[in-house]
Amino acid sequence: MRKTFASGLIALLPAIFAPAAFAQEADTAPTVELPAATVSKVMTAAVDSFIRPGYDAFQTSAEDMTATMKTLCAAPSQANYDAAKTGFGKLAANWAHIEIVRTGPVIEQNRFERILFYPDRKSTGLKQVQAVLAKSDETATDPKTLATKSVATQGLGALEYLLFGTGSDTLVTGNDFRCRYSAAVAENVGNVAAEISGIWDAPDGIQKAWEQPGADNPAFRTGSEAITGLLGILVHGAEAVRDQRIETFYKGADKAKFPKQALFWRSENTWPMVKANLDGLSALLTTSGMVELLPEKDRVIVAATEEKLKSMSTLASGMTPDLEKAVEDSADRKKLDTLLADGKDVIAKLNDGYGGAIGLSSGFSFADGD
Amino acid sequence: MTWYGETIDRRAFLKAAGIGFAAALSPCSLHALERADAVYASGCRAPDGSFGIATVSERGEIIDRVALPARAHGMAFSSATGRTVAFARRPGTFAMVFDPSRQAEPIMITAPEGRHFYGHGHFSPDGSVLYASENDFDGNRGMIGLYDGRNGFRRIGEFDAHGIGTHDMTVSDDGALLVIANGGIETHPDFGRTKLNLDRMEPSLVMLDAISGALIQKHAMPSSLSKLSTRHLDIAENGRIWFACQWEGARNENPPLAGWFSEGEDIALLSLPDETTARLANYVGAIAVNRRENIVGLTSPIGGASVMLDARTGLVLAEESVREAAGVAPAAHGIAVSSYDGNFNGTHSDVAWDQHIIRIK
Repeated sequence: MRKTFASGLIALLPAIFAPAAFAQEADTAPTVELPAATVSKVMTAAVDSFIRPGYDAFQTSAEDMTATMKTLCAAPSQANYDAAKTGFGKLAANWAHIEIVRTGPVIEQNRFERILFYPDRKSTGLKQVQAVLAKSDETATDPKTLATKSVATQGLGALEYLLFGTGSDTLVTGNDFRCRYSAAVAENVGNVAAEISGIWDAPDGIQKAWEQPGADNPAFRTGSEAITGLLGILVHGAEAVRDQRIETFYKGADKAKFPKQALFWRSENTWPMVKANLDGLSALLTTSGMVELLPEKDRVIVAATEEKLKSMSTLASGMTPDLEKAVEDSADRKKLDTLLADGKDVIAKLNDGYGGAIGLSSGFSFADGD
Repeated sequence: MTWYGETIDRRAFLKAAGIGFAAALSPCSLHALERADAVYASGCRAPDGSFGIATVSERGEIIDRVALPARAHGMAFSSATGRTVAFARRPGTFAMVFDPSRQAEPIMITAPEGRHFYGHGHFSPDGSVLYASENDFDGNRGMIGLYDGRNGFRRIGEFDAHGIGTHDMTVSDDGALLVIANGGIETHPDFGRTKLNLDRMEPSLVMLDAISGALIQKHAMPSSLSKLSTRHLDIAENGRIWFACQWEGARNENPPLAGWFSEGEDIALLSLPDETTARLANYVGAIAVNRRENIVGLTSPIGGASVMLDARTGLVLAEESVREAAGVAPAAHGIAVSSYDGNFNGTHSDVAWDQHIIRIK
């Protein structure tokens, strides 16, 4: 017998309380109290000085990229093609800066995947973009219809292949379809960015919920919840850089290496992306003023984390851009090993150091009960 | 070293994990194990950041420790064979089988290619089959892996869990039914622990035939509760299946956080008093039933609370503030409660107890 129960059959039992068979203990929950004014100040700074400007900058760079692509389509030339490639690098870096925020509207309605479909171990995106090119599918040249297609065909991964992949040199002499498809991708990314910006900019929406934790708040009921959420951005962001962006192609000198699994290896934007991720983490940690929530004796944790993030950023900017060469070069491998070790250190500093200092006794990640 | 789809022996495990495993319990630990009226097991983290499993007396004193290569989550115990299993926390790929009395060497099970463990599992009543909740991450579907408890925990099959984000699962006392909590949340190891579908979750509770894997009944949450992740389970004396939930919706809503169902019946959601719901912070991390006393225990690490319910009526019997409340398990009287900050039944140890505890004696 197989039964699938309809949702309408679910019974809601009445609110009930036992008679005094057991004594009710009405003690106060010993949760960590963080000063409400400082929490609000930190959350406001995080939203107004990092998150909203980050999405605004990303939206602007996508609009610039759209204009650059349209210029190239109207007047194919080496100079305009070079401008498009440069524009892609700026757009990607602006995304990487704010990409560390993996919460809120960006993870709803597939927005994150529409901007960047990665990792893509089965090269789904490559195959689908190649299919669009092979068929000269006109629906891919209109941002409205492109938005309804596979997420792998409408974001930065697709745009990178169109500008840097096989056949991209035809954009110099004029490849009308490829160029218009590229312009539509840029415009589509800009549209998604505008949606996210709009949601964060609405005064009574997520912005207010993040800035003013409270009993009737849909995001955070307490200051502790809000700061834990903010810390989560940093911990998960640092984990993503190390585990998803570097370890995807390099896990150690004695392990197999997969340089062509790296994000944006074709355009040699792998390291600019890593650097922008790290700089984003650094900027959020600093501009939010999270340090103010720590007792004086623990503030060294933030300074040490900022210092480590900066040294990692410097290291990333000095890596050999060609990843196939980088993973074979002993000096670069040493830098990669340092980045992995430092990444682990940053995660520990945020997770255990900052997390412990605000009252999560066993650290941020451990407190996620699952 | 690749561990996919195989079990590895003690030597390979030790080499891979870089940890020690004494051949036998120390006389002191053996004595403590024998004289304890109740013994529990739980995952834990040591102050140096290393992970392991500890066996603990009813007074919360640590009897023995076994090192693990990474963090564990839920556990399973067979009273028929004495074997205990610690499952890796998602998206981990190991499950370690050990004998708390150390009369058999540990076995490390690894998830097959394309699967990872979700952190929970359960033995068949005779201990011959270990069921484990798993993620077919490229297929985005929950699975129940079957491992041969009498033959080195070799993988012998799998069942479709008929849902996504499969988490806890249990087995009916007669071994005929598998009961599964599908949390409804899509995850993929490429994205770590990121929840990928919070705006289109599909939580459900499922009952399968334990022999054939055939679907017997499935309860999907109504659309108004589509963000109510059904995650943990335990079975009461009368066969009633209690479940506990985590709310992924707006924080200022007061959804039901627990409920029950039985074979052939629809689910009943428990409407707790508002102050109890608030105390649980929309997040129940663990549930356990004391069958002898008909008590259901719930904990919330976010709310810092434990709540005891009458298993027959759902009445709230007691609430207590427990900072970073973690696991619950039936005690001689009432429910044993552990915490992330090292407390277990009133005793503090220099470890962080993980989210689940299981009674093994």
